[in-house]
Amino acid sequence: MKITLTVNEIRHEIEIDPGETLLDLLRRTGYKSVKKGCGSGDCGACAVLLDGRAVNSCLVFAAKADGSTIITAEGLEKDGDLHPIQEAFLEEGAVQCGYCTPGMEIATLDLLTHNPNPSEEEIKEGLSGNLCRCTGYVKQIEAVKAAAKKMNKGAS
Amino acid sequence: MIRTQLKTYHCPDDLKEALTLLQQGGKTARVIGGGIDLALHLPPDVTALIDLSRLPLSSIEASSDGITIGATATMTEVLEHPAIASYLNGVIVTTLLQVASPLLRNLATIGGTLVSTHPWSDVIPLFLALGAEVTLVGEMSERIPLSDLYDSRERLKGKILTVVHLPKPAAGTAAAFRQFSRTGFDVALLNCACFVRVENGRCIETRIIVGGTPRLASSLPKAEESLIGAALTEEAIERTARIAQESSSVGDDRRASAGYRRELVYVGVKRSLSEIKDQLEEAKR
Amino acid sequence: MNGQKRTFHTVGKSLQKVDGLSLVTGKPMFVNDIDLPGTLHVKILRSPHAHAQILAIDSSKAEALPGVILVLTHENTPTTRYTTAGQGYPEPSPYDSRIFDTKVRFIGDRVAAVAAETEDIALEALKLIEVQYEELPAVLSLDEALSSDAPVIHDEEDSPGIYDAAQNIVADVDIDAGDVTRGFAESEIVVETTCETQYAQHTPIEPHVVLSYLDVDGRLVLRTSTQVPFHVRRIVAYALHIPVHRIHVIKPRIGGGFGTKQEVLLEDLAGFVTLRTGRPALIELTRQEEFISSRTRHPMRVRVKLGAKKDGTLHAIEMEGLSNTGAYGSHGLTVLSNTGSKTLPLYNKAPNVHFFGKAVYTNLPVAGAYRGYGATQGYFPLETAMDELAERLNLDPIELRRRNHIRSGETSPIFEKLGEGREGVAFTIKSCELPRCIEIGAERIDWAKKRGKRIREGSWVHGIGMSIHMQGSGIPQIDMGAATIKMNEDGSFNLLIGATDLGTGSDTILGQIAAEVLGVPLEKVIVTSSDTDITPFDVGAYASSTTYVSGTAVERAAEKVREQIIEVAAAMLETEPEGLMVADERVTAHDGRSVTLTEVCQRAMYMTDQFQIAATASCVPQESPPPFMASFAEVAVDTETGFIKIPKYVVAIDCGTAINPKMAQGQMEGSIANGIGYALTEEMLLSSKGRVRNPTLFDYKILGSLDMPPLEVILVDSYEPTGPMGAKSVAEIGINAPIPTIANAIYDAVGIRLKKTPFTPERILAALHEQRT
Repeated sequence: MKITLTVNEIRHEIEIDPGETLLDLLRRTGYKSVKKGCGSGDCGACAVLLDGRAVNSCLVFAAKADGSTIITAEGLEKDGDLHPIQEAFLEEGAVQCGYCTPGMEIATLDLLTHNPNPSEEEIKEGLSGNLCRCTGYVKQIEAVKAAAKKMNKGAS
Repeated sequence: MIRTQLKTYHCPDDLKEALTLLQQGGKTARVIGGGIDLALHLPPDVTALIDLSRLPLSSIEASSDGITIGATATMTEVLEHPAIASYLNGVIVTTLLQVASPLLRNLATIGGTLVSTHPWSDVIPLFLALGAEVTLVGEMSERIPLSDLYDSRERLKGKILTVVHLPKPAAGTAAAFRQFSRTGFDVALLNCACFVRVENGRCIETRIIVGGTPRLASSLPKAEESLIGAALTEEAIERTARIAQESSSVGDDRRASAGYRRELVYVGVKRSLSEIKDQLEEAKR
Repeated sequence: MNGQKRTFHTVGKSLQKVDGLSLVTGKPMFVNDIDLPGTLHVKILRSPHAHAQILAIDSSKAEALPGVILVLTHENTPTTRYTTAGQGYPEPSPYDSRIFDTKVRFIGDRVAAVAAETEDIALEALKLIEVQYEELPAVLSLDEALSSDAPVIHDEEDSPGIYDAAQNIVADVDIDAGDVTRGFAESEIVVETTCETQYAQHTPIEPHVVLSYLDVDGRLVLRTSTQVPFHVRRIVAYALHIPVHRIHVIKPRIGGGFGTKQEVLLEDLAGFVTLRTGRPALIELTRQEEFISSRTRHPMRVRVKLGAKKDGTLHAIEMEGLSNTGAYGSHGLTVLSNTGSKTLPLYNKAPNVHFFGKAVYTNLPVAGAYRGYGATQGYFPLETAMDELAERLNLDPIELRRRNHIRSGETSPIFEKLGEGREGVAFTIKSCELPRCIEIGAERIDWAKKRGKRIREGSWVHGIGMSIHMQGSGIPQIDMGAATIKMNEDGSFNLLIGATDLGTGSDTILGQIAAEVLGVPLEKVIVTSSDTDITPFDVGAYASSTTYVSGTAVERAAEKVREQIIEVAAAMLETEPEGLMVADERVTAHDGRSVTLTEVCQRAMYMTDQFQIAATASCVPQESPPPFMASFAEVAVDTETGFIKIPKYVVAIDCGTAINPKMAQGQMEGSIANGIGYALTEEMLLSSKGRVRNPTLFDYKILGSLDMPPLEVILVDSYEPTGPMGAKSVAEIGINAPIPTIANAIYDAVGIRLKKTPFTPERILAALHEQRT
């Protein structure tokens, strides 16, 4: 069956299999930042923004995304400028192996879009579906705080 | 990975079409909201999915009768709705924040969650404790208590759950939820939801539901009865929690032993009832 | 090497990772992020039995399935035995593995493989392979393995390197100094404790994955998620009977390893498929396969006996380790050896030491290298026994450690007696800030105020615990790392290193070391690593070797290059080389005249007496200066449920110079998180038949963001004179602390001593109930 979806502002018309997941579809369409860590919604490495909300793309049937708008980590940059979230992750040393990073950035974007001034508990809750084995989450939480500051400064 | 057995993915335009597809498909067709459970495990005989998420079934509305929640509202949408936030002191919000992760809550629907019958479900015991009702639409439309849904597997056959109804809380009611899990992003080793209505200083309505035992949530009638007519004191709470502990049916699984679960029943019921007691005292002031 | 501390301009700064920008923008940098046309998908058929003979395999139906290109079994693959352990040659692990064997030895063992056009076809084909097994009695625990009539797991004739195959003993270690029997007799207090650690898994978020293909010259390329590219090349060459020079191993960015990728797990198979078909082959483990069929921690039972004088001075230490290495023996000997070699030297005051133990085969998941590498299992009973001894002596636990731990200028007989599978190397400690680590940590956790107070908070009781640790920096006289540096005409340099960055940031810190010596900003050092055609040799990322060993190689190579730069500059400035300084991207003479590095290289490359400014240098360490760490935790126990929370965790660490402090901290934070999981929540559960019951992240619980306690990592000021820029290695040490620290804190809180990990709420509550009766 054929579906259309917009990924990082680019429109795609793609032939898909009804049993395909959004994760597989995105990766075979070239969006390699979307990672497979478990395939069962437990690790969050596959998180993408689907119509404005972060979801585990490994649990979304690709057919469900017909007509949807999707953002992946590749789409956070604008005209060669890093998104404040990406800047913050870099500056705070929140990236080690980087495999969980795209999913973390998407979860952070969802969090800060809907809650621009989260408390530390709310940040932890916001990242709770993204597992990381390298960092212990310490610097990632700092990165989200820093990103929130940057985004609020930019907004005002 | 492609599940090659799936041949068709329907996005029906209205409920009637969805029902027709469901009836035609029989065992080979399944209705989905977010689709999480079927993405995780597609039974071998399922060849068609009927996606309800585009139907106008997701609205959440408050009225004099209580709150109605459309079946395809996501957990996040429920969580963020102002009517839900103020319902019984925010017990639904505090519970939902402990469910799964934000990523999963953005995808999971309330309808899908209630029909999933996961034994560790946090939502089911809470909604049972709140006295929720659901509308099932098949050949006819019927509104039944949520607990009836779990009486048998056949209850939902050929029907679609479309609306969840939360009753308007009477004066003097409070509810609380407790769950015990290994890590923050984990299912419950055991959970419990309690609901109490007090009038003239005495409990006149109680619901004590325990889940993850490891079986699906069910009520503890002996414990519920022990509070009826009594004042909600520390002693009454202690007694009720002990009755709950003794009368609950718990078992072993790889996450916890029956003996440990029995301990958690006691602690969970005690702490929920204590919280209810505090809330009611707070409300009086 | 300049043995004195000095101020640095690049080293010691928390610069951004060199690959950071690409990672935050989601560039396709991991193994599986490239698509090669014609790639075959390989899926593996795994044994449903813990121990069985394969009587017959009929793969005809699978081969007939459209889209299936190749089905492999023991009948059509090389029969050579090798070790999968990524260690230096000759590997101290038995050569007990085959690509496909005629026998299966654990549930999940390889039986056959299918290469097909798509993943789904490959999976379908697996179901069509018919295998006849003869089930054999299985060995399903440490104790069963030790019994004299246990079934023999490796009964084949052609597996060299097993200590006693008939008894299922992979390795046997027995070393001593002094005389412990007399030592204990002379001791005034003797304390003994036995602890058990569980099966645990590394769970890197990226599973094992390899993409193999033939390059335009027909050479086999292995693009693989590995910690040991050079060992992979050698072992695959050996297993597939092709020369080393016909293989090219590339490690791109990888998604974590923690030891599970110090193993040749998939490359032999992928390589063979590519050689047979001429097509690229992709093998990626599912998360379930990661749990069942990759590598795990060695579950161990370790007994420690301490004998001391009344003043607390240790007089005799005995440690006995029993290690379950699973169905194959990779890392069996060396992990067992490390249980003693990375723990016992810490308390060098005892003149009588005995370390002995066995690593045994079982028909259970295969254990391998895992951060901590035996030390994690050894510190549990050692640091618990120390606390028990302190209590018996009525001494503060901190004071007992102060009286006994090794100090700068001292040595331990263990360094020489216990190496990695052979004798070790004697050396003296040249940097040890452990006293300061203990002091700072104790103050930050409020030790004096909170220890022994059992502060109650509703049903919660608080306690404080601590433990001290050392690790190592590489394996002396065995590890080797090398670096090549060449200069470009814009004053930049290419740094080619075999060293393996698994997310640890080694590319960055090694770049910083080079930049420091060459007087340039980090941006002017372009790092290429872990490519066996391009970069010089390095053993790879393990044994905490990278900063110390590879770092020294980089420093030496940079110094040689700097000398060459100075020679050219001297000619340009018409002066003597002595006294010329390289800094701020120029070479400056005493009198202030200078030339830029750009000018130097342009001249050397194009103009006069041209030559490529370049050098290669190696490092074989002669000692292994340990990083030191003091770990403190405040723990609260819910006496009604057994649940634990950690209101505060403090770690003070001496790693010499921290080349990149933020990264060192980040590494420590991750290591501690991993250790807390090992202590509290992680456990692979096995059925009575030896099957993993919880092979999912759903049911094997690692720490998430909600679980991480407030953690403070303090890098204590220190300088190691034998290390590059004064550095020692860091972060493996972190994982060893949480188990004993938390165990000791639980005792302080509620008076129970837990001897088995993980300390689940259920176990804690059971212990509390037992205490009350």
